[in-house]
Amino acid sequence: MQYMADVKSPRPQSRAAAIEVTGLSHIYEGRDGQVPALQEVSLTVGAGRFVVIVGPSGCGKTSLLMMMAGLRHQSSGTILCAGKPITGPDPNRVGVVFQEASLFPWLTALDNIEFPLSIRHAPREERRRRADAMLNLVGLKGFGTRYPHELSGGMKQRVSIARGLVQDPPVLLMDEPFAALDEQTRMTMGHELLRIWDETAKTVVFVTHSLTEAVYLADEVLVMSARPGRIIDRIDIALARPRTYEMMATDVFGRLRERIWQQIRRRSD
Amino acid sequence: MTRLQIIFTRLALFALVMGAWEALPRAGAVNPLLLPPLSGVVRMLGQLLGRAQVQEAIGVTAAEVIVAFIIAVPLGAAIGILAAENDYFGAIFRPMLFYVFSIPKSIFLPMFILVFGIGFGQKVAYAAFSTLFIVIMSAAAAVESVKADHVLVARSYGASPLQVLTRVYVPSMMPFLLEALRISMIFNFTGVMIAEMYASRTGIGHLIASWGENFQMPQLLAGVILLAAVAILFNETVRWLEGRCSTWRT
Ligand SMILES: Nc1ncnc2c1ncn2[C@@H]1O[C@H](COP(=O)(O)OP(=O)(O)O)[C@@H](O)[C@H]1O
Ligand SMILES: [Mg+2]
Repeated sequence: MQYMADVKSPRPQSRAAAIEVTGLSHIYEGRDGQVPALQEVSLTVGAGRFVVIVGPSGCGKTSLLMMMAGLRHQSSGTILCAGKPITGPDPNRVGVVFQEASLFPWLTALDNIEFPLSIRHAPREERRRRADAMLNLVGLKGFGTRYPHELSGGMKQRVSIARGLVQDPPVLLMDEPFAALDEQTRMTMGHELLRIWDETAKTVVFVTHSLTEAVYLADEVLVMSARPGRIIDRIDIALARPRTYEMMATDVFGRLRERIWQQIRRRSD
Repeated sequence: MTRLQIIFTRLALFALVMGAWEALPRAGAVNPLLLPPLSGVVRMLGQLLGRAQVQEAIGVTAAEVIVAFIIAVPLGAAIGILAAENDYFGAIFRPMLFYVFSIPKSIFLPMFILVFGIGFGQKVAYAAFSTLFIVIMSAAAAVESVKADHVLVARSYGASPLQVLTRVYVPSMMPFLLEALRISMIFNFTGVMIAEMYASRTGIGHLIASWGENFQMPQLLAGVILLAAVAILFNETVRWLEGRCSTWRT
């Protein structure tokens, strides 16, 4: 039980919720009829928290994240970000890191990171300065002139994270960002992400279907049921921070992982 | 093989063929009436280029090619993009386009003559028609090469529809478009040539056809060299453009 530290995170947290989802439902108009993807999803993400969403494939995790990012409209329900409704993409409030290879192959790493700034016509000077700072933050100093195909999978996702952070949004949404990486790189990237999260004090909503990754990263884990997606459990991960690889071998870690697994299995039969 | 070796081998092969072209007819190994020596053909080309009739023909052909290209490319691109972006339009027209694409276009030449006569308009119409299908297919393929994820990324950073077009669609499609440009120019040029050779009063195709009918081999071969030079010039220009924006192509 030595890692069972106080639930409070070391950083002071404000009372206001970074994200508040209420009664969110969504139905897709599929080719063979309606597909209910999300059903009455409600959740609250406190400012500065690291919240991980897990659930079986096809349960609506991506849909939920897309709606939080304002990239897709829900059938019903509301999403508030810092108290104000999300009605469309707003890169100043929410940054998104996508699955796999979402970098533009025709731009260098630095130009990829600058992309969000160039979309809103930021001055060249500011663009370079911010992008350089982000490149350093994600540990890719000196790789700015490389094209994506000249980078490893892990490096590409570092660039994606830098791109998501370059506008300094308070919230970062991440949809299985490390799913395509090998196990070892994935662990390293998780660790790196925690460092970046700590340095930047962002609120992170992170989707994965790796339970180990979920427990390792999260302040709290939200478990979703199979389609139509509902939140069926909310688990506080009361492990001390900073997290270390050794924690994965502990009983506490194993029990948390097991609890999540039981929830997913029980509701997916 | 290194790059230099390849270039050297190519040059050597070229020199060999050219040398044979010169030497074999001179040595009497090939009938000079069938294949006049290279030097004679080159001299003939010089003479031809000096003639007003030939100059006019080149001008006419060039104008036909350019006008047909200007009609076929934007029109084909618009239809292709529509076929790729609009499911309904695509589902209806795609198979039809594919079948028409597989038919040799020269079958339709008599109809073009009936409608447009045998002048400038007919050459342009036929060449544009024979180019249209390849442009449609290439444009549709180019649109489909745009990744939905990339569009989503741009939108998530607040890109306007116009920015999505210029910052995502255009760069994604560029390699395909350049390749399409090159292939459509080949179809276009061939279209003009065939129409001119079939029935015409001027144009390079017409000259080549009449030289051929009269078995004027030096003139005919000089015409071939001229066409080859134009083709090489165009191909290299597009290749150069491709090279400039192909850093990301793996
Ligand atoms: N654009 C769409 N049209 C119709 N059905 C969709 C669409 N997008 C997703 N779905 C369906 O909604 C469900 C949830 O999808 P998604 O949010 O991608 O789940 P997850 O990310 O958890 O795997 C799936 O069953 C999927 O087939
Ligand atoms: Mg998903």
